[in-house]
Amino acid sequence: MKPWAAWALGAGMVAAAWGVALVTPGPAEIQAPFVISVDQGEAGVGRNIAITVESAHRSDRATDGAWSADGNWLVLDLSAAAVVSEQAALLNHVELEIDGRTFRASERPQSLLGTPLSVGVPRLGSVAFELPADLDHGAGIVRFALNPDTRVDSVIEFPVEIGALEPEDEATLLSTGWANP
Amino acid sequence: MSEPEPPAAQPAPRRRFAWVRASTDRVPTRWFAGIATGVFLAVTAAFGGLATAATPSLAVLEPGEAHVTDQRSLTIERAVLVDELPEAGVYPDPDENQRVLAVVATVENPWTAPQTASATSGFSVSAFAESVSVGELPAKESANVRYDDSTSGPWMQPGVPFELVMAWIVDADAYADGDELEITLNTLSLYTASFVAEGEWWQDPTPSARMTLTLNDLGAGS
Repeated sequence: MKPWAAWALGAGMVAAAWGVALVTPGPAEIQAPFVISVDQGEAGVGRNIAITVESAHRSDRATDGAWSADGNWLVLDLSAAAVVSEQAALLNHVELEIDGRTFRASERPQSLLGTPLSVGVPRLGSVAFELPADLDHGAGIVRFALNPDTRVDSVIEFPVEIGALEPEDEATLLSTGWANP
Repeated sequence: MSEPEPPAAQPAPRRRFAWVRASTDRVPTRWFAGIATGVFLAVTAAFGGLATAATPSLAVLEPGEAHVTDQRSLTIERAVLVDELPEAGVYPDPDENQRVLAVVATVENPWTAPQTASATSGFSVSAFAESVSVGELPAKESANVRYDDSTSGPWMQPGVPFELVMAWIVDADAYADGDELEITLNTLSLYTASFVAEGEWWQDPTPSARMTLTLNDLGAGS
């Protein structure tokens, strides 16, 4: 082989390796969750989670019948089911991301947070988010998943516009039960 | 393959650098250890010798004053002794001479993600519990509940303050009304994992303030 050909081939291989390194997805992309985005009333079905958000309410007071508390509350009524397995199928990850901050569904009321899901038979209930008093507008995304570690598993996303929700006097969380289709 | 070059047997370079050898021979290397020891001792003496350095004194907070860090804001209000506090989920055994020591504080999370206000996170002590130490009480063994609705193991949502009760089961003879409780408030720093781990968490508690609380004995209950 001619020396110039060897140099050209070497340079070409270095350039090709650089290109391969550029187009290889990073760790974040490799482990990214599988996102299913749904609107109100639309069923979002993932690997082992099926969520339908029925309605969204904002109020200065939330109650579940026995418990109640003042505050800035966002309450979502939804039905949730498992799809393929009831093994470790608990609704453990319910978070709202808005304005660069992440909120976790409140553990204070009785809610769907942490409840076991059944295959094919939806549970009907609510989740509630307790927000800072001054948070009254902005676009947020509610994420539902089985495991707090959402990598490489399904995540159901529900976009919510806080400012578009008319504040109510009191938001009542549905008592968790079987959905009546 | 090219022919191996014949070894250069030229005595000239050896003679050319003879002056280097001659000059280095004059350096009193055998004194080096002594000179270095002397310099070290002089510098040590200049910084105060080998006496224990005084630790920088911590900021002193009064009860009701907020201790604000990037991790959490903690306003310790009072400390009480009671016979029982079932709302907090602690059940002292009167036959074992046990009572409850409870610290009431307002907490707020200024960070961007929810954080637990429990004493434990998984099997280890939580970052919140690491941010405050109450006397000699074990940080991991307190029952942390909300003051308003007794929710145990509450979460601090960003920007949503609430009153928290931290309750310990203590030996009844160890504490009495009017005792002073030394509280150390720690600052933790945010660690962003990379390489093989993922996520962000608070670690490395460093004392940054202290507070003295007077215990108030409420008798039978709150």
